[in-house]
Amino acid sequence: MNEQVRGQRSSGLRAALREFAYGMTGYEFARHAIETRAALENLFMVVVVGDMIGVPVIPPYYSLRLLPLVTPDIVRWKRRVLRERDFTDLHDHHLHGV
Amino acid sequence: MSSLWIVVIGVVVIYAAYTLYARRIDRTVIASDPNKSTPARMYMDGADFMPTSRFVLYGYHFKSIAAAGPIVGVITAANLWGWLPSILWLMIGVSFIGWASDYSAIMMAVRNDGNSLSAIAHRLISPRTRRILFVFIFFYLLLIAGAFVGIMAAILASRPDVPFGILVLAIMGLFGGYAIYRMRMSIIGVTILTVGLTIAAMALGPLGATFETGKAPNWSTAPIAGAVNSFNTSINAGPLWTTVDPTNADPRIPAPGADGKRPTTPAYNAASGEINILPSFLLASLLLLIFSYIGANTAIWRFAQPVNYIGFWITAIVILVSAVGAVLAPFTNASVAAFKVDAFKGFAPTIAGGALQPLWPMLFVTIACGAISGWHALFGSVGTARQLEYETDALPVGGGAMFSENTLGLLSLTAVAIAGGAGAGAFAAGVGNLINVASFGAIGVPFGTALGFGAFVVIVLTVVQLVFRVMRVTLGEWLGDRWVGFKNQHVASVTGMVLSMALVLSGTWVYLWQLFGASNQLLAALSLLLVTVWLRSVGKNPAYAGIPMVFMYVTTMAATVVTAYNLFVTIATRPGQALISVLGAWAMVAVSILLLVAAALIAWDAWQAWNRYRTAPPEEARVPTAA
Repeated sequence: MNEQVRGQRSSGLRAALREFAYGMTGYEFARHAIETRAALENLFMVVVVGDMIGVPVIPPYYSLRLLPLVTPDIVRWKRRVLRERDFTDLHDHHLHGV
Repeated sequence: MSSLWIVVIGVVVIYAAYTLYARRIDRTVIASDPNKSTPARMYMDGADFMPTSRFVLYGYHFKSIAAAGPIVGVITAANLWGWLPSILWLMIGVSFIGWASDYSAIMMAVRNDGNSLSAIAHRLISPRTRRILFVFIFFYLLLIAGAFVGIMAAILASRPDVPFGILVLAIMGLFGGYAIYRMRMSIIGVTILTVGLTIAAMALGPLGATFETGKAPNWSTAPIAGAVNSFNTSINAGPLWTTVDPTNADPRIPAPGADGKRPTTPAYNAASGEINILPSFLLASLLLLIFSYIGANTAIWRFAQPVNYIGFWITAIVILVSAVGAVLAPFTNASVAAFKVDAFKGFAPTIAGGALQPLWPMLFVTIACGAISGWHALFGSVGTARQLEYETDALPVGGGAMFSENTLGLLSLTAVAIAGGAGAGAFAAGVGNLINVASFGAIGVPFGTALGFGAFVVIVLTVVQLVFRVMRVTLGEWLGDRWVGFKNQHVASVTGMVLSMALVLSGTWVYLWQLFGASNQLLAALSLLLVTVWLRSVGKNPAYAGIPMVFMYVTTMAATVVTAYNLFVTIATRPGQALISVLGAWAMVAVSILLLVAAALIAWDAWQAWNRYRTAPPEEARVPTAA
């Protein structure tokens, strides 16, 4: 085994350990922050283009002004808000550590 | 037998089970394919569905399942049947059932658009299954809350060195959440500060106490523990009422002395065998509920999440230091490493009052989480399954984390076996010995034991606050439509707490624990049952999940019947019992029957579904589709 292969394996192991440690520590907080942001973004999308899912809550003028900005997120947002969710789904972060 | 052998057996068995069995199932039955799209890749939304490195997920999944369950179950089982049956079940259970349950639930969710277990049950079996699952989850939570609050209150009431650490843990939890999310402090700095201060407080509690071998610690010389002890003594005018534990597994029952007899203590009457419910026990229970109420009702980032995070670090440190001690002990101090607990105490140990504790089925529910757990499958299907980047990551993440959790059970068994005796006290004494060895004698055994008690309570408490949190959510979802009051988080929390307290104060701890174990294992059997039906529906061989499912189903239902019988014989119909204990026993008998009926209904629906899929042509495995 030459030095280069040994070096690659060693750095691969270090990266794996680093990721494992992150998974055990910071990942939970990062995920919670992401979910909180996603919930706020959902709300924003409902206010702006809610009529797409049957919630007409803003005059179309403002919707049209904002449409170019929100267009890239529409498919993802519709999937997220229209997906059926049950109890375990809605509160999955409560189940960890039990 | 010594601690080193446990390490060797654990490493060899886990390696063999993973490489020879688990990988084979993954390759030949499930046929995981790295080229198939996972829900995380198909439905990536940056939040719920997000492809994540398998190393990150492994750490995340392990952190989420490593808690108090494997510790409490093992120390109870070693006391009843000896260390040999305990280690056999831990190793056989995780090798053939535990990993299969966790891994299969994740893979089933991956192949079903990332749907949760209850949604899959609704589609594959019947709509009723989903509703029954709610009932199951609620009673599972009620029993675990009762069992954990009971064991912690007993320790807090008898160990005045522990409460200070809990107080600081609460303060650190509040600070940690604020520091990470509001002050945006570095997580490394917050971790060092909060975990360091909590451990320091755990050490300060017993500091100054006089420890003499063979005698109870003298707390009067310790400033903090002495003050707590004086307060406890001042309120303990006499027992409020009494209860019994025929198995002697209750943490309030002291270990036998050198003469083989158990001494009388304020909480235990050796002559009558009764356990005194003291005011200090009641107070400790109430304080634990206040702690849990904060965890259950504040925003999760403000208290519950950081407290759980600190608790995880304390668990990890205890595992690491004790594991080092377990490896070093045979070389540096062979007498510490030698097992003092009997290897085998019989298939049906004699229990006072006519209670039955046959090895089958009771061992298999007493040791729950270290061998197999239904809870893992429940959250694995909604959390981890939606973040897997490749199907081939499911085994190292789901199966690997379960095997890793098993090591926690093995460590707990080592600690109890080298300490002798039983219960949380033996676990703490074992951890104390291992800390002593790992620190090369710098930390004395009594002080290490005190740290062991503190660590035990911290580990369990961080779980309990989350249990109450989930319980209030479940109650709201389950009964909120019938009475809107249950949708109110405070009403739901208080309801759950009152019911748990009724079990703690009126029930017998070991039965409570075994009922919880049975509900947990039944949940695992239900998850395996779903996997079996799913594999049948797609035309694959379901034997690797079906055979363990049948075993777990039969075993846990039998255990529920035995526990109900024990409650009936030893408490409900025993003359001279306090009314509150009798009522508690009947309540637990009712819970047993409810679990039994719920499990039977699900089994019947599953049998019908099985027959439906057996005669129908195999349906195509559901492939994730774009919205």
